Amino acid sequence: MTTPSPAALLDADRVTIAEYRAALQAWLDEHHAELAPRYSPPGTLDEHVAQMQRVKSLLFDAGWMRYGWPERVGGLGGSPMLRTELGASIAARDLTDPGLYSLIEVLAPTLIEFSPPALAAKVVPRLLSGAEMWCQGFSEPGTGSDLSSLACQARPDGDAATASAWIINGQKVWTSLAQYADRCVLLTRTGPPDSRHRGITAFFVDMDSPGISVAPLEMINGMREFAEVFFDEVVVPADRMLGELHGGWAVAMSILPYERSSCFWQRIAYLYRRLQLLVDIAPDDDRTAEVVGDAFVQLHALRARSRATQHRLADGATLGAETSIDKLLVATAEQSIYDAARRLLPGVVEMDDGVIGATWRSEYLYSRAATIYGGTAEVQRNIIARRLLDLGDDG
Amino acid sequence: MMEDAERALLRSTVEDAIADASASTDDRAAVDEALVRIGWREMLCAEPRDAIEIVFGALGRTNATATVLDDVLAAGLGAQPRPDLAVLLPWFAGWGPPGSLDGDRVHLRGIASVRAATAAELLVVCAAGVELRTVTVPRTVADVGAVYGVDPDGGLRLVRGEVPAADAVPLATATWDAAVACGRRAVARQIAGADRAMLDLARAHALDRVQFGRPVAGFQAVRHRLADSLVAVEALEASVCAAWDESSPDTAAVAKAIAGRTNRTVTAHCQQVLAGIGFTTDHPFHRYLKRTMALEGVFGSADEIVVDVGRRLVAARSVPTLIEL
Repeated sequence: MTTPSPAALLDADRVTIAEYRAALQAWLDEHHAELAPRYSPPGTLDEHVAQMQRVKSLLFDAGWMRYGWPERVGGLGGSPMLRTELGASIAARDLTDPGLYSLIEVLAPTLIEFSPPALAAKVVPRLLSGAEMWCQGFSEPGTGSDLSSLACQARPDGDAATASAWIINGQKVWTSLAQYADRCVLLTRTGPPDSRHRGITAFFVDMDSPGISVAPLEMINGMREFAEVFFDEVVVPADRMLGELHGGWAVAMSILPYERSSCFWQRIAYLYRRLQLLVDIAPDDDRTAEVVGDAFVQLHALRARSRATQHRLADGATLGAETSIDKLLVATAEQSIYDAARRLLPGVVEMDDGVIGATWRSEYLYSRAATIYGGTAEVQRNIIARRLLDLGDDG
Repeated sequence: MMEDAERALLRSTVEDAIADASASTDDRAAVDEALVRIGWREMLCAEPRDAIEIVFGALGRTNATATVLDDVLAAGLGAQPRPDLAVLLPWFAGWGPPGSLDGDRVHLRGIASVRAATAAELLVVCAAGVELRTVTVPRTVADVGAVYGVDPDGGLRLVRGEVPAADAVPLATATWDAAVACGRRAVARQIAGADRAMLDLARAHALDRVQFGRPVAGFQAVRHRLADSLVAVEALEASVCAAWDESSPDTAAVAKAIAGRTNRTVTAHCQQVLAGIGFTTDHPFHRYLKRTMALEGVFGSADEIVVDVGRRLVAARSVPTLIEL
């Protein structure tokens, strides 16, 4: 038996979000010293990753990390909004980077929905508890916004229907944290090269398989969050297939609702924290009032929208094209906050080598990607025009 | 709160009533009467959220003129809403009390609705030092030096004047703040309705208008303007809902600021997409543009609210999340 903890006293199926939040905040206050980062900001990627795994482990042991996940994968059950609240609470306290933490929300639901139950029961608790790190192998050098054009090939070892293994050859890029990852949710081409979304299959691949090599890419802020991943005759057992043969597009699309709901709620909490840090040090004058007021109003509009999205998901709605609206709002708000920082702290982002300057600079540079990753702003607008406004095909 | 089906029925009843009344006559009194006939005042007291959301949303979408905002304010200030009672609103772009008490005189500086042209009395909230009072004055003062501005059809006019103060009644600041918040939610919803209507007009035009051998809706530059308009409108609608769910002066203020910002985005994009025809009075766009230009200033413009909110955040060195899951 594990030691009783405050978390274990809550009934996952009955607790309200407000009760959960109150109990969680009290626990986080109490364990502040234990949870706080051990490095001085901005920290290296190694330090960020180690911090996240440590925090996940503490939260898992105390039970918090298990709310909102099904019991068959080591969870305590209850509404997924509970885990959304957890992610936001730790982002609001700067305990983990929400970009890294959000991989849980992106990948664990995929395993739960598409992998053989025994596999999910074995590996999902390892992801939640920080024992493992996973990555997402989707994008390729020739496949950015147009995901269905991917080419990384998987061929059966024998006949496709009866093969005991698949052999993978090709390349992925923009794979976050691949150099730390134990596993990869990988999209491969199993149909003819031009089969688009009909010929894609997903696999759950061990990153220590022979034939995989990882080459991290240095980002604009000096960090190496993304990597190229090369697959050379990599053998994957057939029981690691996620979903159906040629059913990988459904796997890829299943990620969207979580990426666009709970992950965004965490990102929003992080952005409120950023605005707070800016308000802590900005000069008290009229320009600050205007710039901060503007950023706050924009953040609030985003938060209101995202809140409605979380509730729709919790009420059983299937999220789709309308989440492109959430995506555009998040990207725009994120860039606005960092633009505000540059305006209100002249010379800090550009020329300060101290802790404050280095942190704002790193994050400012990273924020420029907000309108690019996860589907560019232009692709989101195209989706809105075609699917939500029904403007017909373009061009 | 009503059930969804009940709400949908009410929405269609309200929209039909407004459409019939607007079609039969240009007189705004027809719309007011139609709303009263279907029980607006009873709804306002029993189900204020649904009543305000549905009626102001419909007014925004149809651009019909009514004086229901007077009733919202009267109810918020503890007075019985009635057709012969108008309420003076704060001056354009601001939200301070429209009156100030100076000995036995009241200085008026506010916006009056078209109801002030016919009502018996005008209810005025006045600053008296740091406290507030309400006074009821004869409505004839509302005609003094009235300025109608960009949207005379909307019936809002600026009023400035001075009258004798009679029977000033103390008013709690919190009551005024709550009444302003309610007014802000109503006007924000009306602007959201108008913004939806403008987007619908621009969308229809883009699909209909052929240039270079195809509908202009096929051009990405046009599509992206319409997409950005939809993003803004959806965020506004969520903000208005959140301002009801977590009702406070702050959530209402921010929702009103978002309404102003959204309206600038939507009017600019839609007018550009409508191009030449949107620049004429042959097309209905201009009515929505002018109506929302006036509404942007009712209970605080976006710029004024943004600066006020920013000042308070900086003074407190605190950035609160106003709404939770």
